[in-house]
Formats: sequence, C-alpha cells, structure tokens
Amino acid sequence: MSVATPTSAPTTATGTRGGNVDGQAIAITVFSTVKWWGRVVLPFVFVAPKVAPKTLTTLQRLSFIHFARWSLITQIPHNGAPQPETKLRYPHLYFESNFNGGWEEYIDAFSHILTTGMWTFWGSSYGFPKALPTGPFKAYIKANEMEASHFYSAYPEATTTEIKQAIELDPMVAELRERADRMTPEEFATAFAELMSEAQRCC
Amino acid sequence: MATAAPEAVRIDLGDVQGDILRAYGNAYERTTYVFVGIDEPGRGREWLHGLVDRVTTAAPWADAGKPAHAMNVAFTAAGLRALGVPDRVLRTFSDEFLQGMAERAGLLGDTGDAAPARWERGFGTGEAHVLVTINALGPTELDAALAELRTEVVRHGLQIVSEQPAQLLPQSREHFGFADGFAQPAVEGVTDDKAVGGGVPLPHGTWRALAPGEFILGYPDEDTRVDPKRRLPNAPAAPLGKSGTYMVWRKLHQDVALFRRTVRDAAQRLDRDELLLRAKIVGRWDDGAPLVTHPDTQPDEFDGRAEGANDFLYERADGDGHRCPLGAHIRRSNPRDALGFEGRLSFRHRIIRRGMPYGDPLPPDALADDGADRGLVFVCFNASISRQFEGIQVQWLNDGNIFGLGHDRDYLLGGTNGGSMVIQGRPPDPPCYLAPQGPFVTTRAGEYLFVPGITALAAIADGVTG
Ligand code: HEM
Repeated sequence: MSVATPTSAPTTATGTRGGNVDGQAIAITVFSTVKWWGRVVLPFVFVAPKVAPKTLTTLQRLSFIHFARWSLITQIPHNGAPQPETKLRYPHLYFESNFNGGWEEYIDAFSHILTTGMWTFWGSSYGFPKALPTGPFKAYIKANEMEASHFYSAYPEATTTEIKQAIELDPMVAELRERADRMTPEEFATAFAELMSEAQRCC
Repeated sequence: MATAAPEAVRIDLGDVQGDILRAYGNAYERTTYVFVGIDEPGRGREWLHGLVDRVTTAAPWADAGKPAHAMNVAFTAAGLRALGVPDRVLRTFSDEFLQGMAERAGLLGDTGDAAPARWERGFGTGEAHVLVTINALGPTELDAALAELRTEVVRHGLQIVSEQPAQLLPQSREHFGFADGFAQPAVEGVTDDKAVGGGVPLPHGTWRALAPGEFILGYPDEDTRVDPKRRLPNAPAAPLGKSGTYMVWRKLHQDVALFRRTVRDAAQRLDRDELLLRAKIVGRWDDGAPLVTHPDTQPDEFDGRAEGANDFLYERADGDGHRCPLGAHIRRSNPRDALGFEGRLSFRHRIIRRGMPYGDPLPPDALADDGADRGLVFVCFNASISRQFEGIQVQWLNDGNIFGLGHDRDYLLGGTNGGSMVIQGRPPDPPCYLAPQGPFVTTRAGEYLFVPGITALAAIADGVTG
C-alpha cells in the first residue's frame, strides 16, 4: 500500500513518528488481521447498545481524544493502475484516532480506562494480548501501527479541549456584550466578575 | 477485571544504591555532584574497581549510625560506552537514555537561554561520563571525601568535567522560600507507612504503596504486579537490569528577585495577600501545608513528614480549584485524582525527587538580582524517564491542555516563554489571571543517567556486562 508505511521506533517527542503529527494533533492508524468469527461478531459489536456506546461515552469524557473509529475492512478499494490489486484473505480491523498529548498517555488511557472495551473491539484480532498489562498491549499496537504519509490539521495550534471551551464561552461573552451598553461601570464590573466565575468552569 | 493477588515483594536493599528509595534527606547537609570523563576504558574500569566497595547501598545503617559521607555512582550513555559496554548491551537501555537529555531539549522546553548550546561546559556534549554524588555531614567531611576522589581520578588519568556543590538551606526550603522535597511516592516494601497521600488512591478512601518496579528495575511495576504471567517490565540486559534505575539530573537556575518582584506586583495589582498568592502558585504554603487541607491561612506549625500531612485528593474536596488552583505546581506535577477516573491517568507518572539547592540564598528582602548563580539541582529517579519524568515535564508542566488550561505552562517554572495561570475563585474573590512573566527557572545543565545496582556496578568495573 502506498498510503502508509509500518511504524518502527518513535522519532518525535510525542512518542510517535513525524508523519503522524501536525501541530497539537496526533494521528494513530492501526490495522489488525481479524479471525473468521470477528467478521460475524464485529458488525454487532459496533451497533450493540450496551457495548460500543458505553466505550464511546467514556471516550467523550477523555477530551484529549478527538475521536476514535473502528471499521471492518473486507476489501481494499482499487483505484486503477499503477495501484496493484490487493485481495484480502482475511478481514482487517482498521482503527483511526486523533488525539492531543503523548502516544504513551493515549494508550495508557485505553488500557486503564477502556480495558473491557478494548477487548470487545480487538479481541477477534490475531495476536491481541488484552489491554492489560500495558506492556504487551503497547507492543501490539506499535507492531500494527502505520505512519500516515499525509496528516493535516486545520487548526494545528488548537486542541479539542480548547475548542470545546471556546464554543461554551462564546455565547456567554456575546450575552454580556449585548447587555453591557445598558450598564453603569459598577454594574459592568460585577457582571464581568460573574462571567469570569461562571466561565472558569467551561469543560 | 479479575486480577491476581500480587505477591509481597522483597527488595534486595544491599544491591540497590542509597538515596533512591529512602532519602538521605536531612541526614546530610552538603552534597557535591562530580562528573568525571573517561578517555580510556581500561583506566576508567580500574578506577571504578576501587570504588565499588565504597558505594553506599540502601541497606539500613548499622548501630554505628550514618557514615560521615555517602557516595553514589551513575553513568550517562556516553559513559557506559566510554567504559566499553558493548553496543549490543547498550541497545537494551531505553531510547531516551541513549539519546541523552540534550537531544530531548526541544521536547523538554529547554530552548532559548535554556538550550543545550548555552549549557555549562561539559554537559550535553558526551563529555560527562560518570556522576559521583557525595553526601556529607558537613564541610570538613565533604572536603575530605572530595580530596580523596580527586586524587584517585587524577591517578587514573581521568578528568573531572564538572563539580557542582549543593547544600541544604534552613528548614529544607528551596530558594523561592518554599519547604521542598517531602511529598514523595510511597514504595511497597520500603515506605508502606507513607502510602496515605503518597501511594495510589483506592476507592473507599484507602491508599496503597506503589509497586517498586516504578522506581527500581528488575521488580514488578504497576503494570506487571497483577500480570498472571508475572512478566517483569522492560529493563537493560542482565546483569545490568537488576536493582538499578534511571536518574534525571538538571541544574535549574532560579531568578529569585524576579519571582519576588512578580509576586509582590501581582499581589498589589490584584489586591490579594502575597503569602496566599505564593501558596496558590505552588499549591502549598511556604511551610508546606497543602491548600486543599488549609485553604485560608498557613497553620502555625506544619510538619510535612508527619503522618497524614500529605493525605488529600483533589476531585471531591476541590474539583473547581477554589482552594488549590488547577494549574498550581503540585496539582500539575502529581494530579492525584484531579484528572478523573480515580487517578488512573496519573498513577504511572510518579517520580522520586532528591533535589538539593545550590548557591547562596538571596538576602531575605532583596528585590534586585545580585547576579549570583543559585537554584535547584533537580534530581529524580524513575524506571522510565519517558513515561515518568518526561510525562510530567512535557504533558503536565509545560502544557495545560489535559487540565483544561489551554497552553498555560506551570507558573512556578515559567520556561522560555514564561508561565501563566488562572487562580480560580468566586466573588468576592473572582478568578484572576497571572500573565506570563520572564522565566523564573532556567536550565543550565543536565544529563540522563543510569544508576546501576551494586552487582551491576561491579560488572561494569570488571568489563563483563554481556
Ligand atoms: C526550580 C524548580 C522547582 C522548584 C522551585 C520546585 C518546587 C517545588 C515545591 C515547593 C514543591 C512542594 C513541596 C513538596 O511537595 O515537596 C514541589 C513539589 C513537586 N515538584 Fe517541584 N519544583 C521545581 C521543579 C520541578 C520539576 C522540574 C518537576 C518535574 C518534572 C517537579 C515535580 C514536582 C513533584 C512531582 C512534586 C510533588 C507533588 C506532590 O506529590 O504532591 N518540580 N516542587
């Protein structure tokens, strides 16, 4: 495949390869080979109400993780020559996620906080060692990780936590602005202090 | 998840070097860090040979009490190479250790005035090979030990690259004036008595000490303690991987006058009590009392080492940071449960700190810099420099994202572009903002080192490392 190359030793400060980093954002891409029964079970796992959504709710609380996506790949799209046609003898699990921070911390969060969720998604992949202990889990992810040949972030200096905070803050400021014209300086001072007290709780 | 009950671990204290698991703390008043350079492996090993038996171990001191001085030895990657440790063995050490601190400068925030190119001579260049740390009761004992060391170094045709003296300041204060060094991780089998406040918080308000492998190689760590297969964490190849640890050594210059002026000005501008503002920056009062347990006034007497002195968590008592700000130095450097998930995002990022102030204190009321060099020789021990020390420095101190603090850096350290912080509050004390200031703390030198166990040290001296 031409879109990705296998990842070996980390080369950047964030614990991942340069191609996976754009500003504050880090990408992780993992392909794993799925056993025959995974092809049957995984589609249910993705929609089963008690399994995937629970993991996803926890994921949302980890605001340094932008998103995480698992999909089952049964064939590789062929875009014509010069791309060679590839037939997959086994289905593959394709995992893609973006996050802020460091690679180690990211995987640690998966191991320690989404322990059972990890088994649900990767349990049908060949060689998956369980999410705990983290040592073998990290080695497994490293071994199956691909470096992105192109990774682009539209707002490289911003993190999702900051963006969420800004979105929450924006209407509060707009509201004060709207009222400000009708306030005395003393009233404004009080209202401003109130806004600050309220806003410090954003996410 | 079902977890196997971990077996009680017994640490071979006689094989572990001293000052790692238990602090020499107030036992020794003077410390000098001597970096030695080796240009011929044979002579280097011969010198080490004579040293092995005199290296202080972690074995409890006999009835005779503490010796007049203690001596400990550590190596940079360049040092192991200079002593003839083969590449194939070196490759089993961690990547960040092999790269060295200077290579990691960008990541650590050592840029501008703190960049390795501006470090003191001999650091970050591959010239510093062996660090001999001498702790002594007083100046006389120190001089005697140093004289002996210097003579032996010269006799073996080796060089002293750098000597850095350091000394305990009254009341264990660092130069900014805060009591320092007592909040430490509790280690299973060694400091179980410090588990409350120092270990891992458990549901139901109890605590347990951390697995020793977080700090000593060759023992189960927090990851493997519950591994049914009882695999041990990664470590350098035998015999080097047993009883050793990694050490971070950083000479951090402190601009005390700038810190004092900044805090005084901010207190005036914001109309806040200066002593409280200082406490908000660190998360503890000058005497060490934590803001979480003493939010309003500094207690008359506080002993940071007393039982229960360190017993607090953040989330329930102070989730909003109204007592201890979300960006306070101790809340960043050991967030306990502040990141949620019962502390599971932070318990693997702990370090044992053994720093020592260097240089004479700035006179108590001085507000102008006298040009003298003073600061903290920051020393910490950990089994993984990247996960533990670098995790704290990079993700928690140099950035605020994980705490919801944007790109705020730790205000106490500042760094090249200065730190900034919000002090959370509610009317009549609404939140206030401390704008970025010049760097209070600047890195002047540093190395990553490996501290071998005693058996491993003998193997290095014998040239039989594998
Ligand atoms: C000149 C620089 C520094 C100064 C003046 C300083 C000062 C302090 C003070 C006053 C305390 C509270 C007392 C105590 O808990 O023992 C403290 C705690 C601590 N510091 Fe620093 N520090 C400095 C640099 C660093 C660095 C570079 C790191 C790590 C990368 C660090 C990590 C910690 C940790 C882990 C704690 C204990 C927090 C706890 O367990 O609650 N410090 N420091």
